[in-house]
Amino acid sequence: MNLDWSIVWQSRGALLEGVLLTILLTILTMLIAIPGGILLALMRLSRSSILAGASTSFVELFRNLPLILVVYWAFYVMPVLLGIELSPFTTGLVALCLNVSAYNSETFRSGINSIRKGQMEAGVALGMSRAQAMRQIIFPQAWRRVLPVLASAWVSLFKDTSLVSVIAVGELAHTALQIRSQSFRVLEMLTAMAVIYWLLGYPQAKLVDWIYRKFGITE
Amino acid sequence: MDFDFSPLVESWQYLLGGLGITALLSFTTAVSSIAVGLAVGLVRLYGPTWLRWLLVFYIDSMRAIPVLVVLVWVYFAVPILTGLSFEPFWAALFALTVHLAAYVAEIFRAGVESIRPGQSRAGLALGMSRRQIIQQILLPQAIVRMLPAFGSFLSVTIKDTAIAAVIAVPELMRRAETIAGQSYRPVEVFTTTMVIYFLILFPVTRVVDSFYRRVAHLGRS
Repeated sequence: MNLDWSIVWQSRGALLEGVLLTILLTILTMLIAIPGGILLALMRLSRSSILAGASTSFVELFRNLPLILVVYWAFYVMPVLLGIELSPFTTGLVALCLNVSAYNSETFRSGINSIRKGQMEAGVALGMSRAQAMRQIIFPQAWRRVLPVLASAWVSLFKDTSLVSVIAVGELAHTALQIRSQSFRVLEMLTAMAVIYWLLGYPQAKLVDWIYRKFGITE
Repeated sequence: MDFDFSPLVESWQYLLGGLGITALLSFTTAVSSIAVGLAVGLVRLYGPTWLRWLLVFYIDSMRAIPVLVVLVWVYFAVPILTGLSFEPFWAALFALTVHLAAYVAEIFRAGVESIRPGQSRAGLALGMSRRQIIQQILLPQAIVRMLPAFGSFLSVTIKDTAIAAVIAVPELMRRAETIAGQSYRPVEVFTTTMVIYFLILFPVTRVVDSFYRRVAHLGRS
């Protein structure tokens, strides 16, 4: 077995670009999926059965599909259905947002539901509107309970961005796999890819543990 | 837009075979991950200190590395290192187990730690050994409390087997890709595949939930 690790150093530029794209994809997805999740949760908790039904269907659909299939679907089917051409990056972003919004909405919904009903009723009894009570009473408390779960979702998302490599988005996994097939340095590149993900992901996983300890609810 | 489902009609047996492999891979992965994960979880909680540290490192590493990366590493890099090559199915089973066992170990830990420490102390006060406390007090309650998490574990497992398509395991996802590529009918093929996956995954979570509601009282303390 002859190994040549210099390939990793030689490809540092491309790998760095891949890392940046992975991070960018994670941040953009979360920026969209947090408001998206809140919106879906509010729709589901609203008194309109049409809104609630639409939200429930969306959430149940995307929670019960493999993400890799959603990525393929967004790449091949969405342009045909909507009649628009999107770049692989945007397509990947859309697929990730669909998935993460669905999960986030469940997180927000259980966060809101975890605040006792009496608090909303007290707000309404004091003459606040439902929206006001939601904003000023429920959200500030629910937020603390939601934060640790969102942090976990963030780490899952960071890992899941690797799946958009199948539609040739040039993030870390795709970049590393490309260099592997061009240079034939399979073991070196795959190991480098795993190590880079580990270096980025491990501190995030530890940070999540810290957030759980700090904000977690103990009964 | 005109739809043509004939490629799916022609190759339904091929697709059904893929579904069979998805089921087989999910089942074997779930069984082996639960077995390995429970062992890891048990040692991680009660084993010797150095081993505990090692297992925490393993679990946290698996939380940090994507499944895709573990899959391609096991399939492409392990043969170079060891000289042994595996069929894609076995490589996928191994890689998914390595990944999901860490997940099971965390479920196990959360379940055991959810039992109030007063119960262990009560056991000690009654003169029980640590082993007896674990076997007779902690595990019976913890296992019931773990059930809802095992429901989502099962659905995660089935969803993760779809990623095995990237190392050419001929399961449902892979076969759908093949049919879509050969027939130039990705819209029909991928949409149908979505429906199939949904029809499998949706009941899984529902059945586990309703089963849990029946046994939940056993986990109360």
